[in-house]
Amino acid sequence: MSERLFPGQEVGSLPRPSWQLLAQRGAPQTEASRAEFARWDGKLGLGAELPEATATVLGGTPGPAVAEAAGELASLFAIRFLESSGLDRVYDGEARRIEMYEHPVRRLRGFRFVGHVRSFDAKYYRKAAVVGPVGLERPYHVEEFEFVRDHAHAAPKLPITGPYTLADWSFNEFYLARQPGWKGREARRTAQRELVVALAREAIRPTLRELVARGCRTVQIDEPAAGTHPDEVALVVEGFNAATEGIDAELSMHVCYTDYPKLLPGLLEAKRCRQWTWEFANRDDESNDAYAALDELRQYGDDRAVGVGVVDVHVDRLESPELVADRLARAARHLGDPARLWANPDCGLRTRSLEVAHAKLGAMVAGARLARERLGGRD
Amino acid sequence: MLVDAGLVSPFPRSEALVRATRDLDRGRTSAEEVERAYRAAEEALVAEERTFGFGSVTAGFLRNDDLFRTLVSGWEGFALGPLTRWFESNTFYRRPVLLHPPARRPGAVLASLPPPLRADPAAARILLPGPFTFAGLLDNRSGETGPALVHRLGRLLAEELRELGRDGFRTFVFSEPLVVVDPPEGPAGASLEEAYRSIAAAVPGATTVLWTYGAAPGPAFPLLDRLAVTAVGVDLTEVEPERLPESDRPRELGVGVLDPRTTLLEDPAEIARVALAAAGRRRARRLWLGVGAPLEWLPAEPARAKLGVLADAARRIAQGASA
Repeated sequence: MSERLFPGQEVGSLPRPSWQLLAQRGAPQTEASRAEFARWDGKLGLGAELPEATATVLGGTPGPAVAEAAGELASLFAIRFLESSGLDRVYDGEARRIEMYEHPVRRLRGFRFVGHVRSFDAKYYRKAAVVGPVGLERPYHVEEFEFVRDHAHAAPKLPITGPYTLADWSFNEFYLARQPGWKGREARRTAQRELVVALAREAIRPTLRELVARGCRTVQIDEPAAGTHPDEVALVVEGFNAATEGIDAELSMHVCYTDYPKLLPGLLEAKRCRQWTWEFANRDDESNDAYAALDELRQYGDDRAVGVGVVDVHVDRLESPELVADRLARAARHLGDPARLWANPDCGLRTRSLEVAHAKLGAMVAGARLARERLGGRD
Repeated sequence: MLVDAGLVSPFPRSEALVRATRDLDRGRTSAEEVERAYRAAEEALVAEERTFGFGSVTAGFLRNDDLFRTLVSGWEGFALGPLTRWFESNTFYRRPVLLHPPARRPGAVLASLPPPLRADPAAARILLPGPFTFAGLLDNRSGETGPALVHRLGRLLAEELRELGRDGFRTFVFSEPLVVVDPPEGPAGASLEEAYRSIAAAVPGATTVLWTYGAAPGPAFPLLDRLAVTAVGVDLTEVEPERLPESDRPRELGVGVLDPRTTLLEDPAEIARVALAAAGRRRARRLWLGVGAPLEWLPAEPARAKLGVLADAARRIAQGASA
């Protein structure tokens, strides 16, 4: 729990600066990418903190060394980007990850990538099939966390994709093939449970154990797929509990774009989870109070913290601080306790421009401040 | 046994098309380049559908951003709403917001059809949203009641069919997952019957297939049996054929026998077995083989491999060999 009301956090990946994308693609920097770096360097002071990486990225010959330096510089960029927005908890914006699914899967055994699947419109993700028993090559996110730990001024956290989402976003061949007969719903369900539990025990838990040993104290387990099959909520919980058994850290669970009441009360059995982070702004408007879903948590007597989405990550339209404050006030009313609320975007701001993402985070922090003032609290 | 196989949902975009549309989204290519990529993919897909021996072709409906977008953009009364999960999947649609009672703008569907379909309408299979699913998944702020809206959407879709029918189109598949996921009751069921009566009357002699998926159709079967459609498609990846209610009315039956939730290839002999078992339960005189949920949940290559399995299974059934 934070000391002031409505602390702020981001909960997903951030947009990437053009100089990082060019460096990682092995392309030379352009006038525009240098200008972008200079613009943000003026605000964040990256060059002064990492002069060697900066010189390599901006002046080096494109290749692996430049890409490596760009990863480091992009991590610092994201940390300072979040800190300069006024957030209370930060990480590296997942700057070094390809994305939240492909990055871990490439570090696991038993998977084979089979092609792109559309998420919506022209947004796609690369999807893998499970073709053998799943296992861990080596714990991942470790270097990423150590960099954040060593450079962040605000409190560090580490987001990691949960076992249920890794399973749901994969094609389950290996475990399904072991089921006899016609592969209907029951066969799918049995095979999926085997996969989720194997991922939790063999991949996520050893990775979390290593991260905690390196000083990680706050972990956000991302389960955006948790709402995909509401009747599988017990499996989401089983995966969370298996992955976090014996893990000494403050744990949260991020679930987005779903009808939350359908997951209750089953989800509440994830007993080690101390904070829910949920999306609401996407569906909140004059005729629909999205935060009313929090009534259900109160009715079940759940006393955990809740990070509520107060800015929509899929539109450029900027929320005003007044709107953010109004959303937080409504969330507090429905939850019944403002002290348990965190302010966050619905999800990662990765699909927005850097300017829009920064402005949205700024509006979110300003709105949280306004909400505190309205409640008579000190900032 | 008469049997046909084919696409009942959009085909996934190829890796080349993924790159092209993504590049356009990121401002790295031109609309003309993407149009060329679409046309190449559509021509290739029609050729494949013909090679597979499918009775009608779709060109994949590769341009569809979601099931409703063509009508939401082409008709009046709608706005695009929030990103919303599509049933139990990791795909999303923009929830239509209906601000006023909907109205057609002539030519909306026709204009959206790719060149290979417009070139040979008699061989084309047109995919459309079913009126119940459309009405049920939009945010209705029009003031019209749910049942009235189903009825109105049915009439508007019938007008689309009349227009398409004048150009020679004869085969129409209506995607209606909501009918089994959340079956209509009372007045909603009656308005659905009325909606499909309008649709059936639009083009005399046309084939209309109502395709369901996402749940066992059991509770919805009495209503499905009353609807004025050529065939009803049921998702056999959700229900074993032995659990389908028996029917005493011979009718055509659609069976979803490919599972797009896994890349594991189905066994054509096993498909033939379950399809014939379902046909026996329902006393079907003709089978329509398809996918149990949207095929675009798969990447293009595994989807193509599954269509090959579907074609193989259809051949086995046609030849009377289930194993």
